[in-house]
Amino acid sequence: MNAFVTLARRHLWLPPLLVLVVLGIAIGIMRPGTFAIDQINIKVAAAMTLILIATGETIVVSRGGIDLSVGGILSLTTAICATRGDPGLAESIFWIGFVLVLGALVGVLNSVIITIGKLQPFVVTLATWSILEGCALMVLPAESSGVPDSWVAVEHVTPLGIGVPIMLLGILVSLWAWFSRTRIYNAIRAAGSNERSAYLNRVSVLGTNAWAYGLSGFFAAAAGLYFSTQTGAGHPTVGTQYVLPAIAAVVIGGTSLLGGRGTLMGTIVGAFILTLIGDVVFLLKLQSYWQWVMSGFILMLVVILTGLTESRSSSGSGS
Amino acid sequence: MRRWLISPSPILLAYAAALLLFVLVSFYSPGFANPAHVATLITLAAFIGIAAIGQTIVIVGGGIDLSVPWIMNSAAILATALAHGQDWALLWIAPLILLAGAAVGVVNGIGIALLRVPPIVMTMSVNVITQGLLLIATRGFPPPLAPKALTAVAAGKIGPFPVILLVWIILAVAIVVVERRTSFGRYLYALGSNRTVATLSGVPVARTTIAAYAISGTTAALAGILLCGYSRQAYLGMGDPYLFTTIAAVAIGGASILGGTGSYLGTVAGALVLIILTGVLPILKLDVGALKIIYGLVILVTVFISAPSLRELMRRPGSK
Repeated sequence: MNAFVTLARRHLWLPPLLVLVVLGIAIGIMRPGTFAIDQINIKVAAAMTLILIATGETIVVSRGGIDLSVGGILSLTTAICATRGDPGLAESIFWIGFVLVLGALVGVLNSVIITIGKLQPFVVTLATWSILEGCALMVLPAESSGVPDSWVAVEHVTPLGIGVPIMLLGILVSLWAWFSRTRIYNAIRAAGSNERSAYLNRVSVLGTNAWAYGLSGFFAAAAGLYFSTQTGAGHPTVGTQYVLPAIAAVVIGGTSLLGGRGTLMGTIVGAFILTLIGDVVFLLKLQSYWQWVMSGFILMLVVILTGLTESRSSSGSGS
Repeated sequence: MRRWLISPSPILLAYAAALLLFVLVSFYSPGFANPAHVATLITLAAFIGIAAIGQTIVIVGGGIDLSVPWIMNSAAILATALAHGQDWALLWIAPLILLAGAAVGVVNGIGIALLRVPPIVMTMSVNVITQGLLLIATRGFPPPLAPKALTAVAAGKIGPFPVILLVWIILAVAIVVVERRTSFGRYLYALGSNRTVATLSGVPVARTTIAAYAISGTTAALAGILLCGYSRQAYLGMGDPYLFTTIAAVAIGGASILGGTGSYLGTVAGALVLIILTGVLPILKLDVGALKIIYGLVILVTVFISAPSLRELMRRPGSK
């Protein structure tokens, strides 16, 4: 038991991974064929929007902040995607680039307001979330289809049976393996764990904020792109459904809201747990609303357990 | 006097903004200031104001309550479902629902104070769980109509004055007294400005935190009951807008989300600003998108003005 606590302290994503494995086995028993490659494709596709948006959130949370504006960026991106008509290749590349850069710029703007004004990330990003969702409604007043067919087609290719979502997941994990060792991410974590001492060690408060919120905006825009190609439609208010689940995925994954550390592996596991709860509820033939109750309880449980292992191990090291 | 001009308090600024906004719009569209319309605006502001009582208390104490929307919604649905349209039943139903709201708040408080769950996570979980349980209990069907007596309180008038304004004023006075004159109020501000210092100086941290969330649960439930009286029915999702508006009202009212500052008086001004802005839309022929953009900008501007760094900057020439 103590060995597990020590291991769990080093690899924050281990306890949630256990939960995910249990969920997976339960689903596998109740519905044979769950682990066929096309079933896995479907599950990853279902979780991908949440994974992308929660990736950015993980970075912001390890910076000690929080980003609610990702909901607005997601909404705005899908609205932009659904109003592009029928673009050619060059135009498509332009708009995809445009959306990603826009997301990153919005994030940087968040960081500038937060840092210069010495304001709380929660309020600032709540405000920018509202502004962005307003912009989304201006671009596209109501939910409608209209995402370019070619974009939707790209999302649905499956070379060798492996879908785009799985490939995206692979790219994401490899990128993270690199990014989590860079000086930038170390600085972000240092500033997230103690802004003042990081500042005294010449870590830039604004710089680390700009990177964290900029990346968060970028990933939220990527999530919006992915969501539009997956559904083929623009949803100017869809962001509301993803803000709190994104934070929940980060927290379930073992990243502390206090900042200073973060784990993408955990966040991905957290996003899968939240996605698979729906399956479990369906297979148990419960009302679909049980999904809400179960995810709430899992979130609470994970946080309480993480808190307990922390206080246990810290009291252990003290004695 | 000069000092007051150089660094006016955020609360005064919020009231000035509400007044200025109201006068400007009234000039632009004379119908805006007619008593019936003002009464409607005040009634709508009262729902935000009452739901935001608890949010203010919790934020002053350094927390946040994301469970307001579905506590409101549950209260509304319980009120209609239990009363079956009968007025006398409200006499036992209303206190029961307020108690239930307080109980949910206590659960929030225990998780945050004793189990050390971050407020965002705890109240978010409780919100989701409440939502799920409510949907399961009602099977997603809309419950029956609200009792008439409830509508009389929430939408009725005594002469030109809405009844709910009276309720709001009484509650506001009570809360301001609690904030300023009771030991709970002092503990709350101490806790919000620095938890460690508060603990060391003997503030009963756990008790204060739990009480703050219990108040929030109670006022959210009250707002929910009144809101279902006003709309004459309860429906799923009716509380959702109040997550944003209660936090926005507190922020516009000048309280720092980090806790330790602010007053309910500011939140009242915040609620008025939000509602006047909503009323401006049809006049300027703007849509929901524009309202969201304006809401966001107003929050940004007000938190910028009341931000410590900027106030320091403005005070500097005066102190020289």
